[in-house]
Amino acid sequence: MKGLAPLFLGIFGTFAFSWVGLTVIPNWQIGHLNPQSDEEGTDIYPQPQSGMFERGGRVYVANGCVYCHSEQVRPEYAGADIDRGWGNRRSAPRDYIFERQVLLGKMRMGQDLANIGARAPAEQASPSPTGAAAPAGSPAGGTSPAASPAPQGAASAASPVAKQSPSSSPAPQATSPAPAGSPSGATSPGAVAASPAASPGSSPPTAAAPAGPQTGVGAPWPIQTVGEPAMYSAAWHHVHLYSPRSINVDSNMPSYRFLYEKRRVHEQRSADALKLTGADAPPEGWEIVPTYDAKCLVAYMMALNQSHPLKDVRSVSGAPAAPASAASPAPSPAPAK
Amino acid sequence: MNATATGIPLKEPAVSAVAGDTEQLERAYIDASTRVPVLMFYASAMAWLILGTLLAGFVSFKLHEPDLLSNISFLTWGRVRPAHMNVMVYGWASMAGIGTAIWLMARLCRTVLRYPLLLVAGACLWNLGVFLGIGGILLGDSTGYQWLEFPRYAAIILFVAYTLVASWAVLMFRYRRGEQIYITQWYLLGAFLWFPWLYTAGQLMLFAVPVQGVLQTAVGWWYANNLLFLWFGAIALGTAYYMIPKVIGRPVYSYHLATIGFWTYALFSSWTGMQRLIDGPFPAWMITASIAATILTMIPVATVGLNHHMTMQGYFPLMRYSPTLRFTVFGAMSYTVFSVVGLLISLRSVASYVNFTQASVAYSHLGLYAFFTMVIFGSMYYIVPRLVGREWRYASLIKLHFWASAYGIGLMTLMLLVGGFSQGSSMENPTLAFSESVETVLPYLRGRSLAGILLTASHFIFAYHFGLMLLGLGRTSTVPTFLNPVEAETSGGH
Repeated sequence: MKGLAPLFLGIFGTFAFSWVGLTVIPNWQIGHLNPQSDEEGTDIYPQPQSGMFERGGRVYVANGCVYCHSEQVRPEYAGADIDRGWGNRRSAPRDYIFERQVLLGKMRMGQDLANIGARAPAEQASPSPTGAAAPAGSPAGGTSPAASPAPQGAASAASPVAKQSPSSSPAPQATSPAPAGSPSGATSPGAVAASPAASPGSSPPTAAAPAGPQTGVGAPWPIQTVGEPAMYSAAWHHVHLYSPRSINVDSNMPSYRFLYEKRRVHEQRSADALKLTGADAPPEGWEIVPTYDAKCLVAYMMALNQSHPLKDVRSVSGAPAAPASAASPAPSPAPAK
Repeated sequence: MNATATGIPLKEPAVSAVAGDTEQLERAYIDASTRVPVLMFYASAMAWLILGTLLAGFVSFKLHEPDLLSNISFLTWGRVRPAHMNVMVYGWASMAGIGTAIWLMARLCRTVLRYPLLLVAGACLWNLGVFLGIGGILLGDSTGYQWLEFPRYAAIILFVAYTLVASWAVLMFRYRRGEQIYITQWYLLGAFLWFPWLYTAGQLMLFAVPVQGVLQTAVGWWYANNLLFLWFGAIALGTAYYMIPKVIGRPVYSYHLATIGFWTYALFSSWTGMQRLIDGPFPAWMITASIAATILTMIPVATVGLNHHMTMQGYFPLMRYSPTLRFTVFGAMSYTVFSVVGLLISLRSVASYVNFTQASVAYSHLGLYAFFTMVIFGSMYYIVPRLVGREWRYASLIKLHFWASAYGIGLMTLMLLVGGFSQGSSMENPTLAFSESVETVLPYLRGRSLAGILLTASHFIFAYHFGLMLLGLGRTSTVPTFLNPVEAETSGGH
């Protein structure tokens, strides 16, 4: 080839073609999404996140969690994410619009975390620091008739109770006849279905996933023992971060003890001191407490929740929310759209 | 002029039979002018290679021994892993690639190296940038985007350093003699221009004016993938197009294949990247476009591979003697393997098994090590003796280096691919607990650590040998170091 000009133009042209095609056009297509809301302008999803969430995200990034954990649920035709109870629908671009940094992840040496907050016990999820978990704009949630039985139901035997509940017609459970035996049983979307009822004033995010020290046969953490914090509760996350193998011997997650502080007990144990057993327990008179970074990290995880239905995405097995509201006598507009 | 049937000089320009002595002198003169900058880049790259190798071993062992030194914040797995990747990408691969590119540019422009201070300053700043970046990552300042983890202060220094190098390259082009632009120069010019555009676009769209939501991930993978192809791949292919014909003393087989190969490479490989996001929360057309582009990259793979193969036709036995040729041909062949594996794991049916598994690590190592690094090793075996005026001291060390590298990367790729596939199969089976999929892959990860030990040995051997050369302890000889004794007369180079 003679002359630089055609060479230079070609080099620039190929680059520009790729840049426009793969970044500019997608940005034009999905780069300016807004939250969705229903007709009355209430039940807005997603919602801006709290400051603790932001900081927790930075702790998540700083310690490289993204190299082992993804935050995306694949559609049901590609992979077993939904069967595993990692979500009740695939992730969509709109789920992420308020996250300062989106951490979809490329590796699963650990579980997917897209809905880790939705799997928390109900009573834990309500005080979650995110804006999303406390949308005051869903007024009718608290009046749902199923409000009271759900939490206990979820705690002891999620699926049978869920089946009785009128608001849980969705049937991921029905399709799996022995939910307790399947690894996803404990965190099945069926439990999520019961959630609109479970937590007053909030939308489905506050999933009534297995609370309590239940030992699901095929649960992801098979050796969960009685006396430990409820699975996926904040206290559980702290113990898990501090000593992963005290919760699951097979885990190959490193421990993050540098996010915790060992200090003398003053008068009485702090409320947030970790309940550790065995070799991990601090000596008498000492306690292990989370640093602020650890608290933010857990707040971040507790707020990861994509169980709210999206208009552009079909939730699996008859969409917990839409049919739920259709079948439910409750005047609950929250999950309707 | 050494012209082919098509009348286009494909060998390095102006290899004149009558002016042989003048040519030799001129080349020696040009080589001498590149000594300081190229050796600076090479020596820095070697230091980063050793550091990156040690970090890699640490990462690899920690993955199956999670309690190893896990209580120290800056040694936690999630910080050491990006540190390893960035040391290798920006410390080793980029610096060694720039070193080779500088030398090739001076040779192919047929002019002594002008403005060496630009390059010296560039090398110093680049080292500073990488150093600060790695420190930042270990102290918890990582940005979290693959291959863009360096915090902003390091990224800016790196960019300034790069600007110095690229402006040098453009200046050199203006001083070039001869009208013809050899195929290697296309690739090098492309690499020198693509990198700053890519880097700027990535930094702007992720940090200065961040795009919304999932697009960040798309931009991140667009950057990482194009860095692999348009920066590292272009340098490696350009180097192979120089070294193979040079060593065997024969022009490139076909000019037209080279042209087709270059432009299809630039066009199609730049459109890949989104296939890594397969089944993710993105418009389907983005992913499909990248899968299609990945399939189309088989065109440059076929043309480049055919061109190299036809050039080598009848000369393959020379790989027995020439270290450069052996490494370069291994790298060029790995380009084909890398592309084919990339194609396979991006097909939707396969991707649902290998997505989110170690297979993607295998893919990166195939590209950055089996392809790029091996070609660069080959070029260093060619270039360094011409800079220090000594020949490599021990043929045995070169052989050890080659076999440890070749077996190391082969074993590593195999372990990660097979491990990734079985990990994915377990993950796709919802009747198995998730931890089963991790259990499945752990034995393969131990095998990968074994492969890492081989690679570590190979890098230490090479670093020692390189150190001897730097200290002037190479052989004083007019005959290059051959891997095996040459019975007949030597054939054109080494």
